[in-house]
Amino acid sequence: MKWEKLGQIFNPLDHKLPLNCKAFAKSPQAIVFEDFVRVYFSSTETDQVGKLLSHVMYVDYDLKFKSIISLSSHQVIPLGGLGCFDEHGIFPFNVLRDGPIIRAYTTGWNRKVSVSADAAIGYAESHDEGKTFQKFGSGPILAASLHEPFLVGDAFVMKTKNDYHMWYIFGSNWLEHSESGQKERVYKIAYAKSSDGIYFERTSKYIIADRLAQNECQALPSIVEINGTYHMYFCYRDAFGFRTDRERGYRIGYAYSTNLQDWNRDDARGGMSLSLSGWDADMMCYPFVFHCGDEVYMLYNGNEFGRYGFGIARLVSDY
Amino acid sequence: MGHLFEPSNLSGHEWIDQYAQSPCTVAFEDYIRIYFSSRTKPCASRNYVSRLAYIDVSSEDLFSILKVSDQPILELGKPGEFDEFGTYPVSIIRNRDEIVAYYAGWTRCESVPFNAAIGLAKSYDNGYTFQRMGCGPVLGFAPDEPFILGSPRVKRFNDCWYLWYASGRAWVREKDRLQPVYKIRMAKSLDGLEWQRVGKDIIPNVLEENECQASAEVIYSAGLYHMFFSYRYNFDFHLPDRSYRIGYAYSEDLEAWTRDDSKAGISPSKEGWDSQSVSYPHIFQKNEIIYMLYQGNDIGRNGFGLAKLEHYQDPI
Repeated sequence: MKWEKLGQIFNPLDHKLPLNCKAFAKSPQAIVFEDFVRVYFSSTETDQVGKLLSHVMYVDYDLKFKSIISLSSHQVIPLGGLGCFDEHGIFPFNVLRDGPIIRAYTTGWNRKVSVSADAAIGYAESHDEGKTFQKFGSGPILAASLHEPFLVGDAFVMKTKNDYHMWYIFGSNWLEHSESGQKERVYKIAYAKSSDGIYFERTSKYIIADRLAQNECQALPSIVEINGTYHMYFCYRDAFGFRTDRERGYRIGYAYSTNLQDWNRDDARGGMSLSLSGWDADMMCYPFVFHCGDEVYMLYNGNEFGRYGFGIARLVSDY
Repeated sequence: MGHLFEPSNLSGHEWIDQYAQSPCTVAFEDYIRIYFSSRTKPCASRNYVSRLAYIDVSSEDLFSILKVSDQPILELGKPGEFDEFGTYPVSIIRNRDEIVAYYAGWTRCESVPFNAAIGLAKSYDNGYTFQRMGCGPVLGFAPDEPFILGSPRVKRFNDCWYLWYASGRAWVREKDRLQPVYKIRMAKSLDGLEWQRVGKDIIPNVLEENECQASAEVIYSAGLYHMFFSYRYNFDFHLPDRSYRIGYAYSEDLEAWTRDDSKAGISPSKEGWDSQSVSYPHIFQKNEIIYMLYQGNDIGRNGFGLAKLEHYQDPI
């Protein structure tokens, strides 16, 4: 796979963002309309206790990503109420065009006491071409279960003829750093399947081989089909030191499959690596791959988990 | 019949400080094991951790305590898991040669004080200790059951597993505290692992919209299913006239329930350990007699007691 990086296309510091959001434009995910592309992302507001709340918004581009048409100024989807799984943020926000509606698979966040947070996957629908989304209940469609104890999130849903396929992550353990005592999470990619897009059956097994040690963290799978081969991009990192150490932070991983079930991991073949300098030189994360016209693009975040927004790359060759 | 177990009378069981809540029985040949939840001394933040324990009582004299468990029967969950901060209550059932426990596990949150979900554990040593079947809940949150899944009661009828449980509906602010509202719900299963939720509140309110309902114990007798459960007002439930009472409903098919608390046949005593509230009923049968274990004042701070069915009248 050979990619041409087209550079950073959205920096939240250059815009007046809605919902009191000031920084971050994380996990860009696109829906291609007839004459524009809508890119959803999550930005953050600082709340009364000084912690971050993630809100979903979107920015519309022309079909070549040359210029911004508009930035949403309204509430696309509300956060959850008191005690709900998505009370403290929605991030990421996966969207799927399905006939007249747009389905959304949200990752909702809620803060905890002994560990920083938990997450679960919610479902919402848009009946107005993606401007607003209505939630399906106040609880999640995919939450902690017998063999998935916490941190269920990062859904990516693909529709095939008869099925909805979901790739997502779930947490396996919270590790305590031997010196600082800080607790850090470990999570990896899993798979679930549904016939209606809402009730998913899961196997609670990790499906992508580790490249780092066993505590490798894998996040945000995204899949694009090209000539019968499925290409999965995701991000992965070390369990510790990933916030500040370039060698331990998020990079883009890759796996391919011909049947959506058996995946061969081959990051080198994926063709995406850190730039030598600039906005994506220290970290690359939260990739989203999609077709637009005759092209295949990857949206992704750069340094500091997307504090400075996202960029785009164009697939030059799938060899 | 009186006060059966007072936890503060124990010595040598540091981890059983106060409370003996939500009793539940498993019959053995010569004795009946009564499982319950107890609490350690509160930590600095005044929060409690509930642990599961048991006492064995003589089959011949239910007030004769033969043994008290010398350690909690189930470990707490690891950091971030649903049952890290407590296990309460528990419902234990024999299934062929296994002894299976469904319990509510507790975690602590930032915006609300806690959350709960229902876990599954099995015993491999005849009910002395239990091991979790997974590190997450067997019944977790769902679109219309967003938080606080608690007080499980598991039963098997007609080759089907039934789980009655409380499902959180809302958090309501009462002065400087948050109080959850929860209602009784039901799920069915063929194997005790995969549960189909009925997806609706099955018992109508009588006190108020925010009436809290929990611990639905169902028995089959005289051609009907009988449910005994706990209910209370949402706020100020430390006041005797707003605290837990035992309600009653009956059903012919386990689907449609008719509530009629006047037929519960049990209410607070005039004085003593169960004079302010009665709740968390558990029903079992021994030598043709139907008994009810229940917790008394202050949600079981002083333990539980025993009643027996004296008179049955068809509720219909």
